[in-house]
Amino acid sequence: MNENVKINVNGTEIQSAPNKLLIEACEDSGIHIPRFCWHKRLDPVGMCRMCLVEIETPRGKMLVPSCTTNITDDMVVDTESDVVKKAQEGVLEFLLINHPLDCPVCDKAGECPLQDQTMSYGPGESRFVEEKRHFEKPIPISEIILLDRERCILCARCTRFSDEISGDPLIEFIQRGNKTEVNTFPNEPFKSYFSGNTVQICPVGALTSTSYRFKARPWDLKSVRSTCSGCPVGCSIELNSSQNKMLRILGVDNDNVNQGWMCDKGRYNFEYLNSDLRLTSPLKKINGEFQKTTIKDIYSDLDEILKNNNNVKFLLGTNITNEEYVSFNEFAKKLTDEEPSFYINDDLLYEGFFEDDIQLAKINDLNEADTVVVWSEDLKENLPVLYLRVRQAVKNGAKLIVFGHSNSTLLDIADYFYTDDVISKNFEIGDSLPMLEGVEKFINDKNVTAIIGKSTPFQADESIKKLVSYLQKYSNLKILNAFSTGNVYGAFHTLSSIKNLSDFSEEVNSDNTDVLFVVGADPIGKSIYSNQIKKNIKDIDNVVCLDLFIHETSELGNYIIPTSSTLGEKEGTFTNIEFRTSRIDKLVPSPGQALSDWEFISGLSNFMKLDNNIDSLEELNIKAYEGLAQQTKPIFDNLDKPSNLDGILNNFEVNISTSENSGTNCDYFVGKKLYGDNVTIRYSHSISLLGAKQFIEANNSTISKLNLNSTKCLLSQDEVEVPVDFIENEKLSDGIIFIPINRRNLNKFDFSKKISITPNHSKAALNVN
Amino acid sequence: MSWEDSLLKQAREIIDMYPQKRSAVGPLLHLAQSKDGYISDDSISVISKLVGITEVQLKSVSTFYSMYKQEPTGKYLLSVCKSISCEINKSDEIIDVVKDFTGLNNNETDKNGLFTFEAVECIGACGGAPAMQVNYETVEGLSPNNTLKLCEWLKKELPEVVVAEEMQEDFGGYKSFDWAISDQSGTTGSVPGFQTLKTTKERN
Amino acid sequence: MKETLLLTKHMRSNPEDSHLIEVYEKSNGYKTAKKVLLQESPEKVLEEIKDSNIRGRGGAGFPTGIKWGFLAEDEERYLVINADESEPGTFKDRILLERDPHQLIEGIIITCFAANIKNAFIYIRGEYAKPARRVQNAVEQAYQKGYLGKKIFGSDIDLDVVVHLGAGAYICGEETALLNSLEGRRGEPRLKPPYFPAVKGLYMKPTLVNNVETISSVPWIVENTGKEYNKLGVEGSTGTRIFSLSGHINTPGNYEIEMGSSFGEFVETLGNGVRNGKDVKAYIPGGASAPWFRGDQLDIKMTIDDVANNNSMLGSGAVVIMDEETNLVSAAKSIVSFFAHESCGQCTPCREGTTWLEMILERVASGRGRTSDIDLLLDVCDNISPGLSWPPKMTTICPLGPSAVSPITSLMNDFRDEVESLIPTKILL
Ligand SMILES: Cc1cc2nc3c(=O)[nH]c(=O)nc-3n(C[C@H](O)[C@H](O)[C@H](O)COP(=O)(O)O)c2cc1C
Ligand code: SF4
Ligand code: SF4
Ligand code: SF4
Ligand code: FES
Ligand code: FES
Repeated sequence: MNENVKINVNGTEIQSAPNKLLIEACEDSGIHIPRFCWHKRLDPVGMCRMCLVEIETPRGKMLVPSCTTNITDDMVVDTESDVVKKAQEGVLEFLLINHPLDCPVCDKAGECPLQDQTMSYGPGESRFVEEKRHFEKPIPISEIILLDRERCILCARCTRFSDEISGDPLIEFIQRGNKTEVNTFPNEPFKSYFSGNTVQICPVGALTSTSYRFKARPWDLKSVRSTCSGCPVGCSIELNSSQNKMLRILGVDNDNVNQGWMCDKGRYNFEYLNSDLRLTSPLKKINGEFQKTTIKDIYSDLDEILKNNNNVKFLLGTNITNEEYVSFNEFAKKLTDEEPSFYINDDLLYEGFFEDDIQLAKINDLNEADTVVVWSEDLKENLPVLYLRVRQAVKNGAKLIVFGHSNSTLLDIADYFYTDDVISKNFEIGDSLPMLEGVEKFINDKNVTAIIGKSTPFQADESIKKLVSYLQKYSNLKILNAFSTGNVYGAFHTLSSIKNLSDFSEEVNSDNTDVLFVVGADPIGKSIYSNQIKKNIKDIDNVVCLDLFIHETSELGNYIIPTSSTLGEKEGTFTNIEFRTSRIDKLVPSPGQALSDWEFISGLSNFMKLDNNIDSLEELNIKAYEGLAQQTKPIFDNLDKPSNLDGILNNFEVNISTSENSGTNCDYFVGKKLYGDNVTIRYSHSISLLGAKQFIEANNSTISKLNLNSTKCLLSQDEVEVPVDFIENEKLSDGIIFIPINRRNLNKFDFSKKISITPNHSKAALNVN
Repeated sequence: MSWEDSLLKQAREIIDMYPQKRSAVGPLLHLAQSKDGYISDDSISVISKLVGITEVQLKSVSTFYSMYKQEPTGKYLLSVCKSISCEINKSDEIIDVVKDFTGLNNNETDKNGLFTFEAVECIGACGGAPAMQVNYETVEGLSPNNTLKLCEWLKKELPEVVVAEEMQEDFGGYKSFDWAISDQSGTTGSVPGFQTLKTTKERN
Repeated sequence: MKETLLLTKHMRSNPEDSHLIEVYEKSNGYKTAKKVLLQESPEKVLEEIKDSNIRGRGGAGFPTGIKWGFLAEDEERYLVINADESEPGTFKDRILLERDPHQLIEGIIITCFAANIKNAFIYIRGEYAKPARRVQNAVEQAYQKGYLGKKIFGSDIDLDVVVHLGAGAYICGEETALLNSLEGRRGEPRLKPPYFPAVKGLYMKPTLVNNVETISSVPWIVENTGKEYNKLGVEGSTGTRIFSLSGHINTPGNYEIEMGSSFGEFVETLGNGVRNGKDVKAYIPGGASAPWFRGDQLDIKMTIDDVANNNSMLGSGAVVIMDEETNLVSAAKSIVSFFAHESCGQCTPCREGTTWLEMILERVASGRGRTSDIDLLLDVCDNISPGLSWPPKMTTICPLGPSAVSPITSLMNDFRDEVESLIPTKILL
């Protein structure tokens, strides 16, 4: 059926898969047609007219845009004729007549298609003697994006991206004809979680980011391909540095995963690397004060401590590599004969659906599915690029069924959106699922891909199981488990046991723990079990923190070891949400004495003569994938093969042993926002403010029932008081009040008890701490 | 800020006329303009919510069309045609008269909010060139002299309802075709007089 | 030369009140629609339209019967009447809207019956306030009489008609731009392919877009048969057509004639000659988009094919006469600046090119031209419409861009001296 199509380009026959655009078919055969508006991942608009070519028709040769013309068998194409050349030069001249002579000060210079085309095709002297179109030079259109309308060539890539891909069309063409400009609405900034993509795909220097502005030195830009560990989507990225400083992150088009896109947090959450507050030397607490020391000194202290105490526990953040998980696992095994205790820094961790009778989904299965079902944390806030992929699936025709109350960001495109009547305030689901009116025709005997995870930490595991068994019974189901923290999927297959923060808060205390390792984790700053965890940690005698910064948790350590970031400071592997493992790579040096977590553990093991064979990264890498078929082992040698750059899929055994959560009565919907008040964001100046605001959300009728008469209010409970803004969100159902727990101090409440919400008149409202 | 209930009701009626909400954008913008004399950002916010698009999407639409004014217009919008048939029939002289009388350049509004002047493209009165419109009511077969008189009359009489027939009879000349029996309806405000928009009034 | 009154017959016989339903019905109005709906089949109507060989009156001249036949099957289909008439020189739809709106509505009823359509829109340019008012009144009268709405004429057929006002954008006359506009979007033409209205039109559903005059002709054709209509005019340009005559002419106006006589005859008889007895220097045969003819080309026949064979087009049927004293550079500038103003701005060559052309012409017209400007003008034109041939090749999405080229090539081909005489010779650049 899918037979190749033959076309003749410039006298040579080429073969191409059918249903391709001419520009794509040519590209695949190495024939480059210049273009500005066409972008592989956007619907073609044929606006710039740069890609004109001649095709033969019964009425003679015709000029057509190759970006809007589908190939047909035996099509005869000329991409180099005089007519084509003339037309392209003409378009280029038209684009240049109103383009400023800005290249020397433009961020895009050196990688600008307009500049490149002008060098290779362009007319020398300008024939345009009139005055150029003028606009005010770059205007900020959001906290992180600037727009220079003089440079804009009106290709509509940014507007199409926002409309088609991310679904937040806040940037548009204004005016018409020669007066057309791109702009935002007054007081309605380009506030999108995906805005950085427009900067990346803008073919000229019209859209720039505050973070990269004037930093461009394309001639000494170094780059390496890596994987974003911001969330389990694991977007393929390219890191750019200059003079050993990380300058920029770009999305790489990995067809299976991110298709070139990234979220803004993934893209801009790197400036902390260069922060003055980074830890650069090991610290030891003496008389309650941190003092600089050496790694050696810490090794010898720890050697002593660990020899005398064998109750050792680990609280691991998810921003470490698979190799590092392995190093901790191996290290722990040597310390005790018992099952090592690993707690993952995640409130929502639960057992998930990994049993043998479950068919696990790949991200691309979304595109094949008849129906996509979502019941999880808000994807847009927590797995942003997966949210884009759900949008794509819907655009391609899949039906979308969403269970609330989270994921209200999918409300607009959902075919069914179940909230109040089906789901309790506490995220419990009734027994009436098969009776849900209308929905069965999208479920029964259909190919369903379900994104399933906990919507909120208090949700009973049982609730989710109900939905899954219903879907399993009636449909051909594939499940994509939605956990949302960093490299948590790497932890699933490398650690021999895994528990969550709830378990930690209940189990780990000074009675049973002598030594606690806290690795890249700040549960006190972000967990809803913050208070209990703080109490527990305070009581433990020996707390060893490995971290980039001092924060609410690491400041409780007896030792702090400065570590390298997974973002460009170390090598390793990462496993994403579909168990695709790909490379984390290094581009810049770590500051001061900072070292990788595995290096620290390996050094400590050596010092202690533990003899656990974790001396090199390669060893760890091989250990991480023992038992897999040689061919699909994501060991470095395999991953570095060009065909494996997008990562390798595997079936792993998963070892989650969290205790069952039977649901906690909670009057609030607590969840995370994309930008939070965590250390890395706080110290990345371009986005730091985005995670700072403290607020709660509800719909208008819920707000009005509280009789606040003001958007400013005070949340209080016992001694905790937090002043917040009340934001109206009409997508939430009646009675639902959303509290973002990753904003400062909002995790400090006991959510199982009442929080009082009162108008905030006093400006000097008390803050905790 | 925002719209009164009666206007919102009218807006909803307009939306109901179309298979898809967004189609009502055009008439709703006319409606907004009949209220304010231009498309205010406030109207944009109201309409965008009514039809379910973002504000900038609506702004993008509204600024595409030349009849949706981005700044307040005067009580009388004087639109003089400058396209080919009028151009070769000396529309420049008509334009000069209007400019002189009002003291306005193209697309300007006087301080009192009485007149807005614009030189526009063909208004479909080429047989009666040169021609112009006052609040989209057409006058054909103009002479410079009569144009001046028309302007003076508007300024002096300040008619609430602008009716093409009346102006044509008093100030017009050769017409593109016979207009049939005198029509008494005209426009209130610098918007097209049109039933759905309730901008049409009968001259008493 | 005489007029042949089909479409304008009713309004001529009722000079005072042809737009009222009572009057229209007295002239046997709505009888045809009623008969067709109650007694005939859609296929029969389509046959008549095909037999008539009528070609679209909006400008492109596409055979209407064939267009109707292309309409894709779908439960949801639409008819959109293109009443955006904005081509400078054209005012023939205005008279049909203002003076005989019921004829249009009757045409719509028959068309929707033939094409199994339940929703029609009349897209009227916003500046046509009074015509729109008349049409809106007429639609309301028709609803009251039960000629629109549910079970019209007592048949099983439902039909809703909405009068939609444009807002000042010539480009919305282009059918796909019109559909975007009707969807509440910017009036930007869509790509063809894939967005042919007959397949993916309004709301991506099959949609017929026809001009006011085309649809106003339908009742006559169906009543008198396509064969009778086909007998009028000449082969390839059958039936009558309303020409809008303007410019330096004694009696400008709309004239309904059978196609086939010469422009010269038209000017002399119905136009009563050039004003003040002057000679014609040049004339536009079919609206501002059409390349001009010289005054010595008045013997060209007024048919779609004859005009096309002479490298221009009958277009919208707007004939603009320019006498011997006309400043053709200013005239060309007026037309070019029209297109620059009306460019939607999507495609680079049209957005940038038309404005550039306007700027150069402005310079030349005001005596600040350079010798190199003549070649520059032609080369910029060539980058919009490669080869400057007719029908135009285009580097653009729609024909608007190339339309701006027409007056310039006309100037350069036939009146180059006039341009050169404006350029101060001393500046040699
Ligand atoms: C730039 C441009 C402007 C146009 N303007 C009009 C117009 O004002 N009225 C019209 O009926 N057709 C206009 N057309 C033609 C329409 O695209 C379309 O061909 C016509 O409405 C079809 O109707 P018909 O087949 O009955 O002629 C225009 C075409 C172009 C390219
Ligand atoms: S800002 Fe950039 S991406 Fe957007 S339209 Fe302009 S050139 Fe294209
Ligand atoms: S979606 Fe996740 S992996 Fe992708 S860029 Fe954002 S944080 Fe990184
Ligand atoms: S040719 Fe002009 S009017 Fe037509 S689509 Fe292109 S820019 Fe718009
Ligand atoms: S790339 Fe094809 S028109 Fe822009
Ligand atoms: S050219 Fe002036 S009304 Fe048509």
